[in-house]
Amino acid sequence: MTGAVHVTGPARSLQRIAAVAANTLREARRNRVFYGMLAAAVLLLLFSVALSELALADQKARLVQDFGLFSISLLTVATAVLMGALLLHKELERKTLYAILPKPIRRSEFLVGKFAGLCALLGVQVGLLGACWWGVLVLRGGAMTPALALALGLQYVEVVLVTAVALFFSALTRPVLAGVLTAGVFVVGRVVYVLQDLLSAPKGGFAEVPVMRALGKVLVAVLPDLSTFNVADEVLLGWPVPTDYVVAALGYGLSWTVLFVALALVLFERRDLT
Amino acid sequence: MTTVFLELRNLQKVFRVGLLARKVTAVRDVSLSLRRGESMGFLGPNGSGKTTSIKCILGLIRPTAGSVKLFGRDPWDIEARAGVGYLPESPYFYDWLTPREVMNYAGDLFGLDRTTRRTRTGALLERLGLGHAADRPLRGFSKGMLQRLGIAQSLLNDPELVIYDEPLSGLDPIGRKEVLDLMAELRSQGKSLFFSSHVLTDIETLCDAVTILNQGKVVAAGRLDALLDRGALEVEALFELGAGGEAAARALLAVEGSVERERTGARLRLAVPHDAVDALLQAGLAAGAKLEQLLPRRDSLEELFVRKAVRVEARGESQDSQDAAAKGQP
Ligand SMILES: Nc1ncnc2c1ncn2[C@@H]1O[C@H](COP(=O)(O)OP(=O)(O)OP(=O)(O)O)[C@@H](O)[C@H]1O
Ligand SMILES: [Mg+2]
Repeated sequence: MTGAVHVTGPARSLQRIAAVAANTLREARRNRVFYGMLAAAVLLLLFSVALSELALADQKARLVQDFGLFSISLLTVATAVLMGALLLHKELERKTLYAILPKPIRRSEFLVGKFAGLCALLGVQVGLLGACWWGVLVLRGGAMTPALALALGLQYVEVVLVTAVALFFSALTRPVLAGVLTAGVFVVGRVVYVLQDLLSAPKGGFAEVPVMRALGKVLVAVLPDLSTFNVADEVLLGWPVPTDYVVAALGYGLSWTVLFVALALVLFERRDLT
Repeated sequence: MTTVFLELRNLQKVFRVGLLARKVTAVRDVSLSLRRGESMGFLGPNGSGKTTSIKCILGLIRPTAGSVKLFGRDPWDIEARAGVGYLPESPYFYDWLTPREVMNYAGDLFGLDRTTRRTRTGALLERLGLGHAADRPLRGFSKGMLQRLGIAQSLLNDPELVIYDEPLSGLDPIGRKEVLDLMAELRSQGKSLFFSSHVLTDIETLCDAVTILNQGKVVAAGRLDALLDRGALEVEALFELGAGGEAAARALLAVEGSVERERTGARLRLAVPHDAVDALLQAGLAAGAKLEQLLPRRDSLEELFVRKAVRVEARGESQDSQDAAAKGQP
């Protein structure tokens, strides 16, 4: 008799997703890209300490705060883009997929597992770098405040969203293009709020030239507004970030993430794995 | 429970390649069925569509036309795949994992509990000669070792149907023997086997039936004994002509149905139908020729294969192959 009789049901499904996620994490732990990114971020943090020497006494902690948030964001997003774009490609290239997908696992479970594994990895990265940052802050006479932790947390939500975008493009196209497109979405997503302002302004190219207006509207519609997750300015100025806003930002991030993962699932489900 | 474990009906797969989406027909028309406990060899030359068909069977690719049923279900249904053990063509695994970790991962996907997983992993790795390498990363494993691991992981769920794509490729002679023995053991345990190969003689002993492909089409199918027509045996004899000389050769070739195969100096190799052996031996004795070798020869898979493949090529898209496919179902 067969040993694997119960393969259906949500518990089994979760078990498989967890297995894929755990395996993805294990792979990343043995991956040079991950350590490279970690090292680069730590270097940047140390650089911020050196830089702060040049700043005025009361600006030292500020500079480390600001620069720290920036470095962590930049390098986790870079990790997400690189590893996300390669996520499926590596499995296809090395043919490891052919031994996995014929097993009683759904493609959707596989993809969600891969995604979850990568998000967990990025969580670890943000956590480790956050701890380093904390140390540097203390060194410079500052402290990790709840507001700073919140700013970091929202950055993680952004990274998860970017990972979902990378997953989508990696299900759609080749890894280099997928990486470029994801980076593009990230950069444009960060400034798309400017576009919104331009569109609603009474004058200027975006408001007046029909083609540009149409293009601008499309961009605004299809791209997530990543500035939603950037509360660094408010936090650094000591302004409060309302709970409502945080909840809304979480919901916003989650919705876009679900959308991109769902699109990736649709693409991957149909694909011939040859 | 269905007794037909695997059924392909007029399977067809057309790939689109390149920017212009040029059509490449990998599988034209393949039908076959495999019942519980049966063992079938899936044969054909390079590029005949074996791997493509197998990928359709496991839901890795979708057929362009026709249907695949695995345990009576669609291969996309995970329950259909739960009872299958699959070995891909030249298998690869994550090279930063160890064989034991690969087995654990596979065990989790099969939903095995920890104890079952552990016991089976240990036993299978041992059985496939990977016991000593169980905790070494796969990076640097030889092709044959990966093949062995591929087989080990395919048996983790104690499958009822085993689907192997070229199980013997990449193995050394000892490895081939071990894998053949293992497959024979699976067969004797009542499991169904479906495996591809182009080494025909290897699998002769292992399968009840064969399906032979050429250029994406079934050119011969059915039970081996029926296909090979074992009734009409031929016997090959090698004589040392000795004192008899040319006269002896003439006498031997005069036996009814005798055909010269090879003549080197004073040695003559010839073939006669099975029922003419007595006459041949008598003729040899009378002419003073010395018998050196007597070999019964039967139609081998190779010959059958070459015959069928050549015939299809000669006739192009002939009706013949379809007849064979329809008639040959066991
Ligand atoms: N992804 C693909 N895109 C285009 N053509 C393909 C693809 N996969 C296979 N083919 C073509 O389909 C045909 C059948 O290939 P397949 O791998 O199924 O043959 P095979 O019988 O397994 O051969 P072998 O004995 O060499 O393993 C070949 O002509 C091959 O070039
Ligand atoms: Mg093949």
